[in-house]
Amino acid sequence: MSYFESRLGLNFEDLDRIYHVLKFCEELNINNLILEPLNNAKYFHEDLFHKISENTKIKLFFRFNIKPKTIKEFKKEIKFYQKFPNIISLETQVKEIQLKAAKDSRVHVLSFSDPVNMKTITPGLISLAKQNETFIEFSLAPIMIKNRALQSKNFRILYRFIQLILRMKPKFIISGNFDSLYDIRHPRNLCSVCHTLFGIPLEQAKNAFSKNVEMLLAKVKSKEGNKFIQPGVRLIKGDKLI
Amino acid sequence: MKDERQRYILFKIITDDAENFNQKVLINSIWHSIWKYFGMKEAPKIGLWLVELNVLKCYGIIRCSHITKEIVISALTMIQEISDKRIILSPIKTSGTLNKIRQYLK
Repeated sequence: MSYFESRLGLNFEDLDRIYHVLKFCEELNINNLILEPLNNAKYFHEDLFHKISENTKIKLFFRFNIKPKTIKEFKKEIKFYQKFPNIISLETQVKEIQLKAAKDSRVHVLSFSDPVNMKTITPGLISLAKQNETFIEFSLAPIMIKNRALQSKNFRILYRFIQLILRMKPKFIISGNFDSLYDIRHPRNLCSVCHTLFGIPLEQAKNAFSKNVEMLLAKVKSKEGNKFIQPGVRLIKGDKLI
Repeated sequence: MKDERQRYILFKIITDDAENFNQKVLINSIWHSIWKYFGMKEAPKIGLWLVELNVLKCYGIIRCSHITKEIVISALTMIQEISDKRIILSPIKTSGTLNKIRQYLK
């Protein structure tokens, strides 16, 4: 089973730093990595992505995270990012945008990496995401902090969030999303943390780090070239039988 | 009663400064992590034993009971600092026999 670190934010203007981080990940035996450009994502091209991919043994994928504050902003950003053949995730505290994004097939992932965002999730939103096969993502970064009081608080928020997810059974992925280099962990080890500390069944935890991410990537790939209409419907050009 | 089987966990040590690192410091921090995250309920079940520590080659092998394998992996994963130095103890291989671990190391 190959495991994915589904979110690692990097500044794409600093290539040396990127290569340093990738080397560190190689040392940790991470095989699959999804990178997220932290700033000025609009100015990056596929060439840069290919250049980075060629210089490492790790299988790289890319994602864009949008953080709109209004619905108008959301519409504008999603229109821009939909042309990229990469994962598009949304992270916001505004409920209206979350609901709109859960219905929108252009948004692949609803991300809840921050404890403040986690508190905004509702069973209604999860149900909507489940119907539209949108993935729900949460990160383990909030539990890797030094301050014990804050760590306990984040544990509780994450625990409640996970129990809700397990009850509603949507498709979900778990990411690290660590800021510091020394916080990064191998996804298999994070599976153990999810299993022992948050009560996620081991098989489900493993799926959240591997199978579900593979499914997400397959979904993104199927949309490449605008051939995708909706799940189960495919446009075949030049076939007279249709 | 079913016999308790053993598991050997090979882990990688990633740190900038491995000078003040020894068996005692390592085992203390693993126990500290177990106590912190799993408490007294789980601690007696573990049967933790440090089999080998190679600071030069940056790896270590610990032994635990097969039921608590995931707990030990979690405890190792959650360790962030030892003696105020940032560190990663990354479990890379688990086996029921020490020979398999040694073969993996070769």
